[in-house]
Amino acid sequence: MSNQTPLPEPQEQLPAVGPTARGVENYRGNARRRIIRRYSGYLFLAPYLVLFFSFLILPLIYGFWLSLVDYEMLSPEPPGFVGLDNYSEAMDDPYFWQAMKATGLYVGMAVPLGIGLALLMAVLIDSLPQKRQGFYRLMIFMPTMITITVAGLVWRWFYHSEFGLFNAMLERFDIWVPWLTDTTWAMRSIVLMSVWWTIGVPLVILMAGLKQIPVSYYEAAAIDGATGYRRFLYITFPLLRPILLFVVVLSIIGSFQVFGQTFIITEGGPELATRVIMHYIYDTAFNFYRMGYGAAMSWILFAVIIVFSLLQFRIFRER
Amino acid sequence: MLAKEGLLGHLNVTRFSHRFQVITMPTFVRFRLLLLLLPLALIGLIITGMSGCRGGGDVIHLRYWNGFTGPDGRTMLQMVRRFNEENPDVRVTMQRMAWNTYYNKLFVAGLGGRAPEVFVLQTDAFVRFMQADFLRPLNDKIMGENGIDMSDFDPNVIDTVYHNGNYYAVPLDAYILGMYYNRDLFRQAGIVDEHGDPAPPTNREEFLHATRKITELGQTDIGNIWGFVFTFFRYNLAGIMSQFGGSLFSEDGTRTLINSPENVEALEFAVSLIQEHRVAPNPEAIDSWIGFRQGRVGLVFDGIYMLPDLQRQGDLDFGAAPIPQLGPEPGTWMGSHNICLRADLDEETAEAAWRFARFLSDNSLDWAEGGQVPVRRSLRDTERFNNMYAQREFARQLEIGQYLPSNPFVFEYFTELDLALERALRGRMTPQAALDLAAANIQEIMRRYGIIPSDEADGET
Amino acid sequence: MGISKNTQRAIEVFVLIVAAIFVMPIILVFITSFKPEPEIIRFQGILPIQWTLENFREILGNPEEIPIFRWLLNSLFISSMVTLLVLTVSSMAAYALARLNLPGGRILFFLIIATLMVPPQILLVPVYLILNPLGWLDTPLALIIPAGAGAFGVFLLHQFFKGIPKDLEEAAAIDGCSKLGIYWHVILPLSKPALATLGIFTFIGSWNDFMGPLIFLDSVEKYTLPVGIALFQTSYYAEYGLTLAASVICTFPIIVVFLFFHKFIIRGIAMSGLKE
Repeated sequence: MSNQTPLPEPQEQLPAVGPTARGVENYRGNARRRIIRRYSGYLFLAPYLVLFFSFLILPLIYGFWLSLVDYEMLSPEPPGFVGLDNYSEAMDDPYFWQAMKATGLYVGMAVPLGIGLALLMAVLIDSLPQKRQGFYRLMIFMPTMITITVAGLVWRWFYHSEFGLFNAMLERFDIWVPWLTDTTWAMRSIVLMSVWWTIGVPLVILMAGLKQIPVSYYEAAAIDGATGYRRFLYITFPLLRPILLFVVVLSIIGSFQVFGQTFIITEGGPELATRVIMHYIYDTAFNFYRMGYGAAMSWILFAVIIVFSLLQFRIFRER
Repeated sequence: MLAKEGLLGHLNVTRFSHRFQVITMPTFVRFRLLLLLLPLALIGLIITGMSGCRGGGDVIHLRYWNGFTGPDGRTMLQMVRRFNEENPDVRVTMQRMAWNTYYNKLFVAGLGGRAPEVFVLQTDAFVRFMQADFLRPLNDKIMGENGIDMSDFDPNVIDTVYHNGNYYAVPLDAYILGMYYNRDLFRQAGIVDEHGDPAPPTNREEFLHATRKITELGQTDIGNIWGFVFTFFRYNLAGIMSQFGGSLFSEDGTRTLINSPENVEALEFAVSLIQEHRVAPNPEAIDSWIGFRQGRVGLVFDGIYMLPDLQRQGDLDFGAAPIPQLGPEPGTWMGSHNICLRADLDEETAEAAWRFARFLSDNSLDWAEGGQVPVRRSLRDTERFNNMYAQREFARQLEIGQYLPSNPFVFEYFTELDLALERALRGRMTPQAALDLAAANIQEIMRRYGIIPSDEADGET
Repeated sequence: MGISKNTQRAIEVFVLIVAAIFVMPIILVFITSFKPEPEIIRFQGILPIQWTLENFREILGNPEEIPIFRWLLNSLFISSMVTLLVLTVSSMAAYALARLNLPGGRILFFLIIATLMVPPQILLVPVYLILNPLGWLDTPLALIIPAGAGAFGVFLLHQFFKGIPKDLEEAAAIDGCSKLGIYWHVILPLSKPALATLGIFTFIGSWNDFMGPLIFLDSVEKYTLPVGIALFQTSYYAEYGLTLAASVICTFPIIVVFLFFHKFIIRGIAMSGLKE
């Protein structure tokens, strides 16, 4: 196998690169030059950093300032500094907790389901002949390419309990599901649709990860007689762990910020059962025009996500 | 810690060198050329972006924003085009987006000092923006040489834009809650007059009778038939509540009356349609309207703005009528689109903007064509309006129509109202309990807005 | 490979079923867009009883009121530019952070990935207020430039670059290759699959972005497709036929783009001889 061949001499590999005098010179540079050389890497970073500071850090700081003031856009008075009042208001706000609960419920269902299915499908597809893998991946990835405005509209139609497609099809089996009308079912329906809509990205990343597990490992395992799930447990899973971590963290971050699905399909209903935290922040900031309070809740959400992500890193590292 | 373990840290070195050998310049060079093109393209874009400030010469440019998506928007666009043709010195460009995102956009634009010169506010949102000094008072224009006779407008409509001795907007229309009914189902259920024509109900007995008869049609090949269905709870119930004499706030606006006995009674009646009379299905907050379009619902209460939807469909034999009187007094819900001017317009722009606002009002029969009711009586007294069947039927309710109260915390109390209606109609709470809870929460909101002092006890119990 | 032919066949059938379920809604959208409006409202079977092009005709035949080709071009342009920008700045930054051992590099990296967790809505208003004095609002720049600040690309590429063996780089350096040369001739070609993956994600993200264009663009002729499509929906109801037809028009190009990039990935993987 190609994996076993020794590393070829790199020099032979670089026909396109003409040697320059500069590279050699740098090696002999004095201390000052060495410092310049060390920092010269920042030239690569510079374009990104400019964008990063102007369009992420700066707005973020502004957002933090907003969370400390009483900023009600449509009132003519200038915003007044209120310290942590906005944060303590959130602690006493039943709607905030209700939204956090809905978000937790969503994350708790959507992440394991989504990642589980993505992993299952990635492993299964990966075991199929190379030629058809791309086709299946494309099919499962396709929903991800659809705008939420369209996807939401279509699923709303599927889910309608009286006039929808699903119940029309289930009628034959005498089943009737209150997809969006029941407070418990509504969140399940949102999760179901979200798995459909968001599975593409983890699937593609996981499949890329699987491709990078050397075939020789499996061959060795086959000699030892390991098959099926043991192959998965002892080779695939451990080797996939860094990518799995990446995918899980991304999925958790994304799930905490779930918004479009509930905003379009259920509009937060029934009885606010699916009004997730981003939705409530959106309502507060853009419908009630309370930027300050909205910003404060965003920062609380931000903190929660960071805690969860750090936990993830810890759990995955300890194993 | 992340940095330490590269995602592909376990990779075998050799395979990379293998690939390295294979991919040489030609296959990759095109992609990298693209990367090189990027800065050039961006610089070009920035330059054109900077110089792109339109220097329109003598033409006054007006930006006109509204929430008229769908067929409404196309009607409005045609009116704008006509105005531009007739007024070469003004150029109006219209932007539209769905109402639920429209106010966000308007708000953000206001923050950035980019609010449009002319825009539409629904009555609900009107006070909120007026109190924030967003709107230009229009008295000088109305009284001026190119003015409008305000007595031509319906008094209850014009009242909503008149505050502290000033008119702040020109109401364009009234979207009234009325009744759409399925004439086929009425005939099938035998609810007809002496000529054999479907007879829409006008009072509580007829309403219950008709809906019961239609519900009894039961299963058909397109599914269960229902006599009635709740579409948008807030407006449906606002219509019913107005017939029971309830209001949401006290006269001076310092107390909420949402849980007054009248409102509780109205809500109890609504709930009874589902739970007791069983003429309406368990409510689904969204899309029940489709049931009516499918021909599975006998009658619905909805706004005149739904008309184009039914007309487009083409194969539904529907009728339109005022909503039946279900409570002790006549009434229905309505709202208006109001044309507003930005507060800080210079004189010249304000003149052009006013001319445009006036044009829209003068031509609101064109607008009515697309499913609206004009609010100028002289326009409604025309042959042309008389020929608009549904609009005419709905307009009969103009005098008894009631707006939902508009105030600075309107969107917040809407949330509470919606939640209470939902809880009651879905049978999760009794109407009394749901409205009591809403009342307590609304008092809390009013306290936060400083409308009632925080130490004062709750008003109504 | 340790799996019997029968097992493999069973797996394939299962995969095919799942894949079919995933594609079903899209096929439904596609087919339904050829139904007349009344038929859409009353579901009487998957296939249209009466095929019609009316929905497409109404959308495409009215370029003044519904400039859907303008929106399509805008979307294509903006998404391509965003993708290029993200690929360029993220790959450079990721290279510096992953390979150059910069002083302060690790702290910067942490700062960058921490911003992955920032809820995007919180940035909307501040970014608006920054773009306003720049004069970029209502221009494509408002959607392109800020997109370059996203941390996802840096994170993803960083993780991939980390995995590229040091030996190659050192060999190139000994050969007299500058940092730029290494980035250009070693790192980029080796990361083609990663770049293609990032490219796809970025393109799709930008293509489907709704809030950004909604808030930053004012003129209808500058809209992107998702915001344009929203014009067929009102708060009260949707013109299903038009919306579905517009969705088909909106989704088609992106599938083509995906197929293109898809080949790119496959080729990259196949060439690397990763898996036989």
